Amino acid sequence: MNDHTNTSERPVKPKPRARSFFIALVLLALTFWAAIKVSFDISTFWEVWTNPIWSMFWPIPWDWVFTKENTFDPLIETLQIAITSTLVGCLLALPISFAMSSLTTPNKVIYFISKTVMNLVRAVPDLFWAKLLVTAIGIGAFAGAWSLTIFSLAVMVKLFSETVDAADPRPLEAARSSGARHLPAVKAGVLPTVFPSYVAYSLYIFELNIRASVVLGLVGAGGVGRVIETQRQFFRFDRILGLLIIIFGIVWVIEQISVSLRKRLV
Amino acid sequence: METLSDTSTPAKRPPAPKTIHRWFIAIPFLIAIVWSLIGLNITLSRLLDAPGDAWSILRQMVPPAFDEVYERGAVGKIFESVYIAWIGTIIGAFASLPLAFLAAHNVAPIWIRSPIRQLFNAIRAVPELILAVILIPITGLGAWAGTLAIGLHSIGTLGKWACESIEDIDEGPIEATRACGGKWVSGMRWGVLPQVMPVISSYWLFRFEINVRASAVLGMIGAGGVGSELVSQLSFRNFPAASAVLIMTMAVVLTIDTISAAVRRRIIKGAVTTDEDSRTLAAITDLTGIRS
Repeated sequence: MNDHTNTSERPVKPKPRARSFFIALVLLALTFWAAIKVSFDISTFWEVWTNPIWSMFWPIPWDWVFTKENTFDPLIETLQIAITSTLVGCLLALPISFAMSSLTTPNKVIYFISKTVMNLVRAVPDLFWAKLLVTAIGIGAFAGAWSLTIFSLAVMVKLFSETVDAADPRPLEAARSSGARHLPAVKAGVLPTVFPSYVAYSLYIFELNIRASVVLGLVGAGGVGRVIETQRQFFRFDRILGLLIIIFGIVWVIEQISVSLRKRLV
Repeated sequence: METLSDTSTPAKRPPAPKTIHRWFIAIPFLIAIVWSLIGLNITLSRLLDAPGDAWSILRQMVPPAFDEVYERGAVGKIFESVYIAWIGTIIGAFASLPLAFLAAHNVAPIWIRSPIRQLFNAIRAVPELILAVILIPITGLGAWAGTLAIGLHSIGTLGKWACESIEDIDEGPIEATRACGGKWVSGMRWGVLPQVMPVISSYWLFRFEINVRASAVLGMIGAGGVGSELVSQLSFRNFPAASAVLIMTMAVVLTIDTISAAVRRRIIKGAVTTDEDSRTLAAITDLTGIRS
């Protein structure tokens, strides 16, 4: 009975290790240093509401926005860039992904080369590719389509080769043991099991590309971003805001369609 | 005897499945592609010229002029990109964590979680570059505009991921805190946070990796970082310098990716089965929303 009144002793709290302190200190110092470097200014968060710049965003000139040459032609170009680059990128990604997966790779050399090249390609951000290609092959949607093709190839290969890695190896083994050569074995043993994921990833890449192609124009690679860039130089933020509302309305609708297709697939 | 003779005639193959419905998918698909190719004015001659043009630029890029860009202070610019990404991630992480608790369906009531979810979706729909376009007139050109753009955009994705991991928890500990007389906040602090913190902090690191790339790009429109350096070198057609900037950026991006991936793997060790040399499939699943 006495036991109930006596509370049992609490377990000893584990002491934080010196190394944890050290890491925390380093991270904190780094954060302060970085904050100074980016001129961190917390007053922005409340001063932003009274900033006189907002008068430049309003009212939206809808009659300017709702014209064919200002909004809808560039928007169609954006869509075309996204469709072309998704298609080409994903088609090229199919063989490369199989080469990059340890399950289906024809040999170690190809595996290593494709993996290294693709990692390097992915380390370059998408708009860097756009700027490079604009410089190399000229301003316009053509360079934009090329850069998004490279970008979607790199992302698709990453996603899909990891799906192939995780595929069931037994059908492949069965095909090989019945004497199939490499390609037929992969086609019959692995492709059918991973194909739904391939289509779903392609749709996902399409969504990424739609979003990316909106901003391509900011570096001269065609699409609706070109209009944004021009208006930005004239400080016509009211027009930009109107454009953005239309763009993201349409992007949202396309995405919803793509998402619902993806859900049905997988 | 009859059973033996049966084996000599092969069994009939099952009928092949009908393929007519495939055309309903293929034809709109083909029309869309042809329409895009015509619209973009992609002709065979342009396609054949492009690799040659790219090659001539590539040839001028070798050897990279590291000394020149080093003297121009490109290293500082690259580090500025990393700082932007770091502070942006911290802003995103701090803002998204409380919001994620209010957005999870197992711990928040519907009238508060649905507007917050809509907020996450709205933020995620707008790319960082567009946010920066809007923020630059407000804050002025420079790193702070880029930091804010990245921070704001990170709130959307980090909030969504954190919210999903909160929804996956074991609800026993919340019940236990409530049984001891704890209020909602202590339930979150002692019942939920210890369960989700490893996963959420690895998401923060993952987002940091993404943000390093994003902040490099943001410089291209004047929001601080290495992008401006690349743009100016390419505009002057100084290709050796441009390639040096590019290679240095890639080196930093890959180094940060490697370190961050190693730390993340250590944080969630045991929770997910990891590949030996790649990010986990689970992380991709969370990124894309595709569950295979």
